[in-house]
Amino acid sequence: MLLASLLNPKTILHLPKAESKEKLYRDMVDLICRKHQMPICGDELYEMVMERETQMPTAYRTGIAIPHIRVEGFKDTVLSMAFLEEPLDYNGTPIAWVCLVFSDKSSSNLYLNLVAALLKISKDEDMMKALHEAHGGAQTVHIIKKEEIRIKQDITISDIMITDVVTIKPDDLLSQLSETLGKRSHSCLPVVDESGKFLGEASILNLLKVGVPEYLMMLDNLSFLRAYEPLEKLFEMEDKLTVGEIMDKDCITLRPDASIPEAVFEMIQRGKRFFSVVDSDGKLAGVVTAMDVMMQIFMGVIK
Amino acid sequence: MTLMVLALIIFGLSYLFIITEWINKMLAALIGGFAIILTGIVAQDVAFSAIDWNVIFFLIGMMFVISVLRQTGLFMYLAIKIAKIAKGKPLSIMILMYLLTTVVSAFLGSVTTVMILVPIGLLIASELKITPVPFIITMAIGSNAGGAATMIGDPPNILIGSATDYSFIDFIVNLTPPVLVITAASVGLIWLMYKNKMKVSNEDKAKLMSYSEANLIKDKRLLYVSLIILGLMLAAFSVQHLLHLGTATIAMTAGLVLMLLSDRKRVEHILANDIDWVTIFFFMGLFMIVKSLEETGFIGKIADGIMAATKGDPRRTSMAVLWLSGIFSSIVDNVPFVAAMIPVLEQMEKVITTPKAMDPIWWSLALGTCLGGNGTLIGASANIVAVGIATRSGYRISFKEFTKIGFIFMIMAIAISAGYVLLRYY
Repeated sequence: MLLASLLNPKTILHLPKAESKEKLYRDMVDLICRKHQMPICGDELYEMVMERETQMPTAYRTGIAIPHIRVEGFKDTVLSMAFLEEPLDYNGTPIAWVCLVFSDKSSSNLYLNLVAALLKISKDEDMMKALHEAHGGAQTVHIIKKEEIRIKQDITISDIMITDVVTIKPDDLLSQLSETLGKRSHSCLPVVDESGKFLGEASILNLLKVGVPEYLMMLDNLSFLRAYEPLEKLFEMEDKLTVGEIMDKDCITLRPDASIPEAVFEMIQRGKRFFSVVDSDGKLAGVVTAMDVMMQIFMGVIK
Repeated sequence: MTLMVLALIIFGLSYLFIITEWINKMLAALIGGFAIILTGIVAQDVAFSAIDWNVIFFLIGMMFVISVLRQTGLFMYLAIKIAKIAKGKPLSIMILMYLLTTVVSAFLGSVTTVMILVPIGLLIASELKITPVPFIITMAIGSNAGGAATMIGDPPNILIGSATDYSFIDFIVNLTPPVLVITAASVGLIWLMYKNKMKVSNEDKAKLMSYSEANLIKDKRLLYVSLIILGLMLAAFSVQHLLHLGTATIAMTAGLVLMLLSDRKRVEHILANDIDWVTIFFFMGLFMIVKSLEETGFIGKIADGIMAATKGDPRRTSMAVLWLSGIFSSIVDNVPFVAAMIPVLEQMEKVITTPKAMDPIWWSLALGTCLGGNGTLIGASANIVAVGIATRSGYRISFKEFTKIGFIFMIMAIAISAGYVLLRYY
């Protein structure tokens, strides 16, 4: 589906500056209500927009804000856009492009893909310049149509994964691992070689297991033990062992083109909350956590 | 004749794979078992009828009982209690652990006992900062000796008990006395081998004394219930001939009652994790393979051969069986060996018809195979399991290292058994 087909030139604004977020939203809600058959309109719809705004930040680092409101009984997806010459401040993020989206209560897929398409545009500097300089809504729609910006039908892991990943090398010492895990408060790190090839994962549990010999794991329970020296001596091993010696080598990974249901399935099935995303060349493409997926499904947040 | 050769080839190949573990031993036994049907040596119904369901269900029943007993924490409790009673002195701990392993093996089977107790042996040795290797080797040896004492202790005895009319009590009356002597001698040997060899600081001893083993018994009710059921099961085994109940029925009854008393989730966990299906199917495959040798007349030839060599004299025959099984069981897994030997002895029964004359031969087979397992690292499953646990914990025990000690214990045990058989029966 083309993004342009969702747009109505009459709901697109080009403003030198917005007086306030509130005023801007009120104007956009009015435009939407004039051009579309909404089940709710006026103050009630505006209140919903403002409530959404307080629940979750809507701004993205690329300078776009996408407030999204699910409207009960509304069987469609519509949006209004505002291009601002002078950016509005969204809690420290300057926002020059606001896209207000209304959709059905349940249709999250189309919305997520719409967000992905909008974000893609917001990263394209040339296109953003053209859109800002456009004269009126019709020209804006024309630019978007000409570029054939499509809304993908299915969203994949590559859309929601974190690509800016903290990794660790196999010959790094355990002390480096524990420091990185602690500093970033991560519980697991992908292990990659110099070329970025994925080798395995090193987690807090791999680290703790260094102090726990196999025979201890074979006991039925450890309730009789209050203290255990090898565990306390873990830190002595920190500068002796490398990440490569303790990492999990055959961990399950996801492909970048894996679907969200597939990721959810693997997470539940394996009882694993952290997955490395590895492409067909064996290179690390990113990581995805259960939290990313949950934000995705329930809150419609794309990083 | 061609069928016999074919059966021998299948038998040989299957046993080769089982012994070398080039492929999973259950898989090897099942492939062999079905190969004899595929090649037309034995019809499917005949092969299936060879499966000794008394053994199969006995094993399953015992696995149920053991899985619940394990949850009670009783055996870990006893092991730690022992370390405390010994006041952390390594030689005393080693001897007491040896005795505990022997006694528990007599009732739970050697492999299970080793799986429960060896990790504790490793823990204690590591806390005392001494090498755990002697602990592991002596515990494996103790488990094989203990298993020899009862009908339910070691797989060879289970097989013999099921194939013959001997009762649970017959096993105790005939096999426990020599095992007691062997145990006493072994304790002496351990003392000789390891006295003054292990030095431990008072500080490390104190660590053991600080264990709170009472925490291990989490569910007192479960403990009492399972001990009562275990007691009833042993009592039922003892009066088996009066009850006219098969061994499998008694074990399954005890197991099923304990399962019924557990909650559903635990039952599912036990069925999926605690029942050793590999062993169960391994036994089934073995029964089928051995049946082909029996059907084609090969077993009869072996029996004739032994009888010819010993001139049919029961005394010489039992000595031959004892030493042969001892040596063989040192080199190969004793279960497939006994599975093949049982029909051989059954054949002999047709020649040696004097009442009671066969008894010492059967007991020789039981003692030889169970105790022979100590001869080398690969002689018994319990050895392999014990050494496996140690290896995964970072203590490598080589074939030579185990065998150096195991072989001495094996020769001593077989010699004591030989003296016992000669004194008692002839």
